Amino acid sequence: MIVLQNAIDAVSLGAVYALAALGIGLIFSVMRLINFAHGELIMAGGFCLYALVGQPLLVVILAVLIVSTVLALGMERVAFRPLRKANPATLLISSFAVSYLVQHVVLMIFGSRAMGVPFLPELGTSIEFLGLRIPRLQLVTVITTLVLMVGLVAFFRFSRIGLQMRAAAEDFTMARLVGVRANRVIAFAFAISGILASMVSFYLVAQTGSVSYKMGVNMVLIAFVSSVIGGMGSVAGAALGGFLVGIISVSLQAYLPVDLRPYRDAFVFMLFILFLFWRPDGLLMSRADRDRV
Amino acid sequence: MSDPVFRPLHTACILICILLAVVLVATQVPPAMQRIVVEALVKLTVVVGLFIFVGNSGVFSFGHVSFMAIGGYMSAILTLSAERKHTLLSLPGALEALQLPWPLAMLIVVAIVGLVALVVGWPLSRLRGIALPMATFGMLIITYVVASNWQQVTGGRQALVGLPRFTGLWVAFGGAAIAILIAAAYATTRQCLMLRCSRESEVAAAATGIDLERERLTAFVLSAMVVAMGGVLFSHFIGTITANSFYLDLTFVTLTMLVAGGMRSLTGACVGVALISIISELFRSLERGVSLGGEVISAPPGLQEIALAVILLAILILRPAGLLGDYEIGLPKRQVTGRLMAAEQEE
Amino acid sequence: MLKVTDLSVAYGSITALRGISFEITEGEVVAVIGPNGAGKSTLLLSIAGVLKPRSGRIEFAGRNITGKQAEALVSEGISLVPEGRHIFGSLTVAENLALGATVRRDRQAIASDIDRVLAMFPVLKDRYRQRANKLSGGEQQMLALGRAMLARPRLLLLDEPSLGLAPLIVNQVYQSIMDLRQSGVTVLVVEQNVTRALAVADRTYVLSFGAIAMSGRSTELAGTAAFDTAYFGVSREVEQE
Repeated sequence: MIVLQNAIDAVSLGAVYALAALGIGLIFSVMRLINFAHGELIMAGGFCLYALVGQPLLVVILAVLIVSTVLALGMERVAFRPLRKANPATLLISSFAVSYLVQHVVLMIFGSRAMGVPFLPELGTSIEFLGLRIPRLQLVTVITTLVLMVGLVAFFRFSRIGLQMRAAAEDFTMARLVGVRANRVIAFAFAISGILASMVSFYLVAQTGSVSYKMGVNMVLIAFVSSVIGGMGSVAGAALGGFLVGIISVSLQAYLPVDLRPYRDAFVFMLFILFLFWRPDGLLMSRADRDRV
Repeated sequence: MSDPVFRPLHTACILICILLAVVLVATQVPPAMQRIVVEALVKLTVVVGLFIFVGNSGVFSFGHVSFMAIGGYMSAILTLSAERKHTLLSLPGALEALQLPWPLAMLIVVAIVGLVALVVGWPLSRLRGIALPMATFGMLIITYVVASNWQQVTGGRQALVGLPRFTGLWVAFGGAAIAILIAAAYATTRQCLMLRCSRESEVAAAATGIDLERERLTAFVLSAMVVAMGGVLFSHFIGTITANSFYLDLTFVTLTMLVAGGMRSLTGACVGVALISIISELFRSLERGVSLGGEVISAPPGLQEIALAVILLAILILRPAGLLGDYEIGLPKRQVTGRLMAAEQEE
Repeated sequence: MLKVTDLSVAYGSITALRGISFEITEGEVVAVIGPNGAGKSTLLLSIAGVLKPRSGRIEFAGRNITGKQAEALVSEGISLVPEGRHIFGSLTVAENLALGATVRRDRQAIASDIDRVLAMFPVLKDRYRQRANKLSGGEQQMLALGRAMLARPRLLLLDEPSLGLAPLIVNQVYQSIMDLRQSGVTVLVVEQNVTRALAVADRTYVLSFGAIAMSGRSTELAGTAAFDTAYFGVSREVEQE
């Protein structure tokens, strides 16, 4: 029973990690940018939630979606577009700068202390099912993630812009040579990453009941790891990586000796570094099946 | 001087003379301002250490602040009095009783960090492309998690207080000067030249027979040791350390300093530290408040960091090679150097 | 149709093209030949908008297109089939072809154009739903050609379409170039395969060290001593390596 309970925890945590990792993987796939500032999209969504909590749910959801998405588009326009030809390391540094910038703007406005947000406290309760306790929040998270992923897969497979994004992810210059508009594809990727980030905002706020200007940092670090494990640039890989890291985190939490448990994240990152030696390009490498030479 | 191989040392001498001048001026100013100079010199030690690896290999490291942390904590343990260690930490008896003079402690710390860097760097240097910076990121987080939880040794979430504050003006100057000399001396070696070749293309360097892994590892260990020295100076400058002092913020500031001046040049590293220190201080004093006609106006906290981030972004976008690019003080411009060297070879 | 005036292109401090000028009239097939590193691909990439020229001017159909973005030039009617084909290997043949029509909105005409391409290259029809990286080199070249045709270009730029292909496949590729010309498309083809180029092109330019060494009607160029010097004179040793 405990195993099953842990499995439920792992799946729901993995779902959140997968959402965050997808946002990072998507941006990396189209412009080779590891967007450290993705965490600030999550954080901005959280603060929007803080400002609007108590309003009708639909209004809150829409507003959070819009804030994260607009911030994502803004980052792209101001910071990343001028650097589009820069190498990945420079891009990573610049996203680090953007992250630091947004964090401290929020710090300036809201202060550095965490603030409580009573967002849908009823999500904290559980439902009993065959002797298992399933927190409502986990249920909602898993369902939302599944719906979003199916939606994303359909979007990539069937829409024109989705096809163009897949082409751009594989060979950006060639995509432009068939007429794919670079700015449009990248803007779409950022918009989607904003939407994904806002979903993580809801989860984090509902789960912790608070917001702070650093709330996105841990999530983005985990999301990094997840997307690298899955294979940077592969959307399926990012999802897979997210679930894997979720499973590993929950297992470590459950089965590590008690006095080692505080070091859980250190173990996760240690495993991550070890993983890099085994598969530096991730499990599902986007370029593994390149054209024949 | 005419031998191009020794030009980095020439540059180093000029830089150290400039620092000396700054320090001499600083001896005449009030202590509050002296502290600004000391802090800048300590950061300079760290940034030059970072430069040895990042500047020469072209690979960003987000993990070097870990070596500062390891250095700082180890030095704290070696120099704190037994009574204080007894109340703050729970160390094995012998380690608790041990209290060394700080120069000896620093030597031991730097040597041990060198070993740690060798062990950590050996596998890391085998990574390619973006995987290496990612792994250094992992290193930073692991160090942070360990430092903030290992109650017995680091004090966990509580700060380690009461470190002997020996980092004064001259000690900090000594640290920075040593760092610059080490960086320059390394730059005169064949190893460094080969590493610099690999900056442009890992594949091409490997194809010309450069043992990329060995060269990266050498630079990594050397740079970790210098950074650790900086970490020791830093800890004994502040007098108090927590796990949070060695995390993302410090990583960000040191990287900004390196990138701002030009990460490929030692002079650039110095200019970056000077520039960012001055700007930070300016905003810090704004945050403390400026009295304007009897009224005190103070900028909201966070402005300093915002300014740094904006400056870093502006430099990345407008001058991707940093303010100085490849320029080194005391050397003719780069193209001219190339021509001179070619001419010398023909002779 | 295409007028290039005094075009110079550089990669950093290395100059790849030094002041090239030439003109192509509508309906022509023009070949550019030359040894490795002569600047042939650079020329095509500059016309297609991938590389920004350092100086000079490119006009297409009477309009100045210098420095325009690659994606905008596709809608203007310029398509490039780059060297090495650059098909989207993880996408299916169908998706690759659909991407060729990215700039178009006329669904029915696109559908009939796809049918036309499939009729021209029946192998693609057999592999329509397969991933493009499963195709052989020749099939990939056909796909790349077909994809470019779907943009309905007025000027088609081909970079070494025969590179690494079996002679029979090369025949097929060149046959399709002849077909395209029949349908009124202007073609600028870069080749190292001199015989092929001279056979298909109305006029030929010889590029050497980033400059036009000579030019003329293909039939007149072939076999002249000056042509041999221009083409082989500086590069024979290099070619033999």
